[in-house]
Amino acid sequence: MSARENILARIRTNSGKQGATTEQELVAARAVITARTRGPLPTFARHEPIAHFIEECDRLKTTLAEVHSLQDVPAEIARYLLVENLEKKLVGWAEFSALNWTGARIEFINRAANANDLVGLTGCFCAIGETGTLLLLGALATPKVTALLPETHICVVKKSRIVPTMEDAFQLMRDEIGEPPRATFFVSGPSRTADIEQTIVIGAHGPYRVHVVLIP
Amino acid sequence: MKVGLFVTCLVDLVRPNIGFATLKLLEDAGCEVVFPSEQTCCGQPGYNSGARELSQELARKVLAEFKDCDYVVAPSGSCSGQVKIHYVQDLFRDSPDAVERKEFEKLSAKWFELSDFLVNVLKIKSLPAQFSGNVTYHDSCAGLREIGIKQQPRELLAKTGCTLTEMNDAEKCCGFGGTFSIKLGEISTRMADNKCVNIAVTGADAMVGGDLGCLLNIEGRLRRQGDKKTRVYHFAEVLAGMTDSAM
Amino acid sequence: MQVQSMFFKESASKKLNDAVLQKAMKKAKSKFVDGRAASVATIDNWEDIRTHAAALRDRVIANLDAYLIEFEKNAIRRGSVVHWAETAEEANAIIVEIARKNAVKTVTKSKSMVSEEISLNDALEAAGVKVLETDLGEYILQLAKEPPSHIVAPAVHKSKEQVAALFVAHHHKPLLTDISAMTREAREELRAHFLAADMGISGANFVIAETGTTLTVTNEGNADMVTTIPRIHCVITGIEKVIPTLEDFATLIRLLPRSAIGQSIANYLTLTTGVKQANEQEGPEQMHIVLVDAGRTKLLGDDMQSMLRCIRCGACMNHCPVYQNVGGHAYGWVYPGPMGSVLTPTYVGIENAGDLPNAATFCGECQVVCPVKIPLPDLMRKLREKQFDLHLRPFSERFAIQVWAFFVKRPVLYSFASRMGARLAAWMGGREKLIHKLPGIDGWTDGRDMPAPEGKTFKELYRKKYASRKTNP
Repeated sequence: MSARENILARIRTNSGKQGATTEQELVAARAVITARTRGPLPTFARHEPIAHFIEECDRLKTTLAEVHSLQDVPAEIARYLLVENLEKKLVGWAEFSALNWTGARIEFINRAANANDLVGLTGCFCAIGETGTLLLLGALATPKVTALLPETHICVVKKSRIVPTMEDAFQLMRDEIGEPPRATFFVSGPSRTADIEQTIVIGAHGPYRVHVVLIP
Repeated sequence: MKVGLFVTCLVDLVRPNIGFATLKLLEDAGCEVVFPSEQTCCGQPGYNSGARELSQELARKVLAEFKDCDYVVAPSGSCSGQVKIHYVQDLFRDSPDAVERKEFEKLSAKWFELSDFLVNVLKIKSLPAQFSGNVTYHDSCAGLREIGIKQQPRELLAKTGCTLTEMNDAEKCCGFGGTFSIKLGEISTRMADNKCVNIAVTGADAMVGGDLGCLLNIEGRLRRQGDKKTRVYHFAEVLAGMTDSAM
Repeated sequence: MQVQSMFFKESASKKLNDAVLQKAMKKAKSKFVDGRAASVATIDNWEDIRTHAAALRDRVIANLDAYLIEFEKNAIRRGSVVHWAETAEEANAIIVEIARKNAVKTVTKSKSMVSEEISLNDALEAAGVKVLETDLGEYILQLAKEPPSHIVAPAVHKSKEQVAALFVAHHHKPLLTDISAMTREAREELRAHFLAADMGISGANFVIAETGTTLTVTNEGNADMVTTIPRIHCVITGIEKVIPTLEDFATLIRLLPRSAIGQSIANYLTLTTGVKQANEQEGPEQMHIVLVDAGRTKLLGDDMQSMLRCIRCGACMNHCPVYQNVGGHAYGWVYPGPMGSVLTPTYVGIENAGDLPNAATFCGECQVVCPVKIPLPDLMRKLREKQFDLHLRPFSERFAIQVWAFFVKRPVLYSFASRMGARLAAWMGGREKLIHKLPGIDGWTDGRDMPAPEGKTFKELYRKKYASRKTNP
């Protein structure tokens, strides 16, 4: 008998069940899965996702700016890079290639970030009001490393894509693309650690800064 | 109303004054108090040492002793938790004897920790005694977390006119834990130490609590550290005006 | 990891006198306890969420085989290889074999307590594979050659001075005094390794049956590197970690970071499903998932079953007054605090767990803060019952219980004995009414006086005072 069979058999024997897992039991488990019952939600999380998102970003030390349209993003990023004293060079997702970067005097390169890149620009699949969280789904045009390796991560978030809760984000994902892609990645603020004397330090292995640009 | 008094084995042996204070509080409030003299212990020391059958035997003994009472009152959150919670939810939960199970449920329902009984059953308005002084209150774990004793003793103490200064970590265990205090004495002592520091910070003249085990533990540590000044009382002694006869 | 739990008492004694540790524990206590309380207070229906979470964990555990089969099916469908390991040795052998087959020289690893259970790093090193821990706390401990003392904050027992000294010894750079500078130095030191590693090994906080997903919850971002950059990703996790759906994860993640460190959410929730797709420029080519039993099935159908709900938040230890005073190493195995006092005896054998089930006052704080409502004190009491039944406690203790039992069951004898005892002890207390030393309860009198009894028992005083009264109802 294989380890698998031994473990499954032990689970059943110890749980007081006879024989192998029955089709009926598997059907019952699948029914629980497809029911996708949601747990209780905190009251605050059910309403005003955009307001909560903004509030939670602040708590997470995610900075945030709002502009009128996608076209205004380069100017906002130029402002941000200047304030933060960062180089005017971005590595970003393809969806931002067509923007007028030269007008904002920013060098924009569309590729996945590597360890030498200092600023990464991404969009997101959606964002979550309850916790100020960004949901990124990895794919050819949306590599995850761009949100991970650079010291600064800038993320463009459409206000219309801010959902109240994580449950809503998962449902939206199922509705629009089906199953979760290989890399399904929730980001909530810059990376941090408290492993030395429980003192919170911003900037562990991931970005030191997360900046959200809100567009309609 | 016939109220059975369960004094607890510790009070019987070490500090009968708490038992008499309890008796006075109940009688002053108009209760007909009976004291079954066969009582020994609720069984908790054995129960928490893993002696399950023995604790079942003792539970049956307690049940028989208080069968005819309308209520049972004990000046201890810990023994009350044992009877109200552990008898029913553990020791006899799976008992095949449905009648006996029912009896233990009845016992659980009519059993009260003293402060809870005074506040929520008797709803007493006044107390026999006044107590001037600055006290701090230690919440004993079982009373607090098993049967919800928190506001009751504070409400009663307020009626005596004393000043209550809350200590930091009032809800933190003092380290007694029954036999834990002997088996792992060094850790237990350190926990008592932390409690003593929090008591000292309040500047209270007296530390008041509702379980004699905790009181002995805390007092024992205070005295060993050379604090001969801070008094340690059971709230019943304070409420009954019997602090003079306490040690 | 070798089990040292038999020496809990001795070890705890050393820890109580370790000034560096005591300072660290005091600091940690306030951060964890106050942080959790503040964060939980923002949720108006915390209790409802706990109840729901406990029930969903119970449902999985009651049908563990079915959910594991579903998980396996979906993981395979998405391109993962699923391995099953009955024991620590088997789990190690599987991972060593994956490394050997793929000519793996270097491994980056994000925190996995299962890997601590089975001493995976030792097994890989023995096979010539270099392993680097990347969680900052685990990295510090790897340099110090120490096991973790906490399941969430593994290096909680270390001072920044100790960390600084370790970094000087291993990084050969000037001594640092500032915690952010140390964190940056570790980041820079580890960056190159993240990029160059052949294989990434991570644990999993949960695995999701619905989608065949494994997932990690981190703040540092290290697990993201480990699961994304190397060409092989290997997940090692316990079989009890399966949950049915993404929705269930959403519920549990409301509880986990709040309970663990008082955060509303962890910075990175990394869900990984299968291997690099044709349309991707990143991600591992191979994805291995090792499902480990190593004692877990023993809890099924046992008094300890509810322990399988555990989501490893560490709240029980953070709030435990024993843990707060002695730290995690005293417990002598991977899992400290109340959850460890239950897991160690059940995983490695009650006969190897010594005092652990007794290392609790039953104050109940652990049960109150547990996000999945595990009745930890009840479980520890059950283990005490097993120890009692198996005669695993010292003779003196069993004898004391027998003597006590003899008297408490016999009221007349009891009354007589307690009268004598009260008199003797009152005499011993002298004028101060304090007993400074009492043989047999040295554990008490070594650190505390015993306030002496008044001298007469309640029963005899009552009888005298109320001679006319009936004493029985």
